[in-house]
Amino acid sequence: MSKSRGNRHRRGKPAVGDNARETVENMDEQNPVLLMFKEYSSQLDDKHDRYERIVKLSRDVNIEAKRIIFLLHNINTDIEAKKKAVIEEADCRLQALVSNSFKAIARELKGQDGYQYHRAYSNGLQEFIEALTFCQFLKDDSIEPWTAINDSFKYHDDEHGGYQLLFPQYDFILGLADFTGELMRRCINTLGVGNVSECFKLCNFVKYINAGFLGLMAPGNKELSRKAYVLRQSLAKMELVCYNIQIRGSEIPKHMLISVIESTDVNAEEDEGYF
Amino acid sequence: MCTPNQIVVDIFSPFQEYINSEQDVREEIRKIMKDIEKPLREIITVLQVIHHEQNNGKMGEACMRARDIFEEVRQGYDALDKIVPPGQYYRYNDHWRFATQRLCFLAALIVFLEKGILINKETAAQILGVDNKCNIHLDLEDYLMGLLNLASELARYAVNAVTYGDYQKPLQISKFVAELNAGFRLLNLKNDSLRKRFDALKYDVKKIEEVVYDLSIRGLTQGSCPAEPTN
Repeated sequence: MSKSRGNRHRRGKPAVGDNARETVENMDEQNPVLLMFKEYSSQLDDKHDRYERIVKLSRDVNIEAKRIIFLLHNINTDIEAKKKAVIEEADCRLQALVSNSFKAIARELKGQDGYQYHRAYSNGLQEFIEALTFCQFLKDDSIEPWTAINDSFKYHDDEHGGYQLLFPQYDFILGLADFTGELMRRCINTLGVGNVSECFKLCNFVKYINAGFLGLMAPGNKELSRKAYVLRQSLAKMELVCYNIQIRGSEIPKHMLISVIESTDVNAEEDEGYF
Repeated sequence: MCTPNQIVVDIFSPFQEYINSEQDVREEIRKIMKDIEKPLREIITVLQVIHHEQNNGKMGEACMRARDIFEEVRQGYDALDKIVPPGQYYRYNDHWRFATQRLCFLAALIVFLEKGILINKETAAQILGVDNKCNIHLDLEDYLMGLLNLASELARYAVNAVTYGDYQKPLQISKFVAELNAGFRLLNLKNDSLRKRFDALKYDVKKIEEVVYDLSIRGLTQGSCPAEPTN
């Protein structure tokens, strides 16, 4: 990118049409229009560069969050000690994201209007919320409210003083909607190892979240309604799982249930890939 | 274990409040934008006089009138400054971005008609009344978008100026837009709306050059303006 930019400067006088070329050649370096635009150019570059830096940081967050989610999906063994170790590791890596990548983003945003750059890191932030709520849920069967998470994005260091990452509540709720997709996946997986009570627990939790979404009045927010739609689809799959457990649970061994359900119409379709 | 009530109370109620207060702010902004868009359209109408007939007196009058109407615009932005929360300009700027771009274009057109020079960002901000405000300012890209709109209007102006016999105007416009074009080429534009709009600038440049070519091939560019034979 910097290379092409260098080329553009090296080209010197800009290329224009025949008649206009004469005008441009008569323009000297002190031409007020050119001087004006040079200043605007550096302002624009500054904005675009900052935006790109934030996008990069956000992509790092996104990848790491997906890996943490993948790690958390591995807790299907009933060995309590191993489960604990995995959650601890996930917790640790989530904390690292907060104190490294998000801190770097917050520092870029210091003294800026965060909303100007919000789109650059919104994706990473939502993926992070997905991982964080998943981890919290596996740990305590509950999730923290927005305010608690928002507080963790407050930073302070001697060099820069106090600053905070802009964390709109929309990102929290949208991340939460993605999180229910993970619960659906987990529900199917736990069924595979025959853990029936876990399925009911997960299904109920998603039902509560769905109830919350149904109660929202958010006119004209497409992103929100799209995610609520996906959420309802996940929930339908889970409800079908619970139904099958209830009705056929006594007929066949528990670990065989998964094949029964998969042969009906529940395909745990991946809505996004893992890294 | 979470109870359903707990989830609604802890998670969704605060979010609903957040949405509601945002909607309230947006409603206020929409009201103010109506007060800004009305004078905006009036100014556009007033300045259309440049396409009708050559009459420098009328043009000066139109500019004065337009500047008067801009007072209403400034009042609108004053009100907007009071509504937009500190540091949240870009949260809501979808509401006023388009109007601001049009107003920048109109301010630039007035300055071009009066003085023949390119308006700078500070002057544009002053005419719009968004300079030295706490919570709102003139976004650089909105200002640049306004300049690109100006080039399109001037291309039309060049054609109509020839129709009513002013053969000098297209030359002035040609030089002006060439400088503007050269200026824009100093910018490293991203692949965004500004870049797309800038890509259309070359058609305006071409249009104006064709007009100048038509004039020069007929020897009409020097001292043969029928409206002002002495020139």
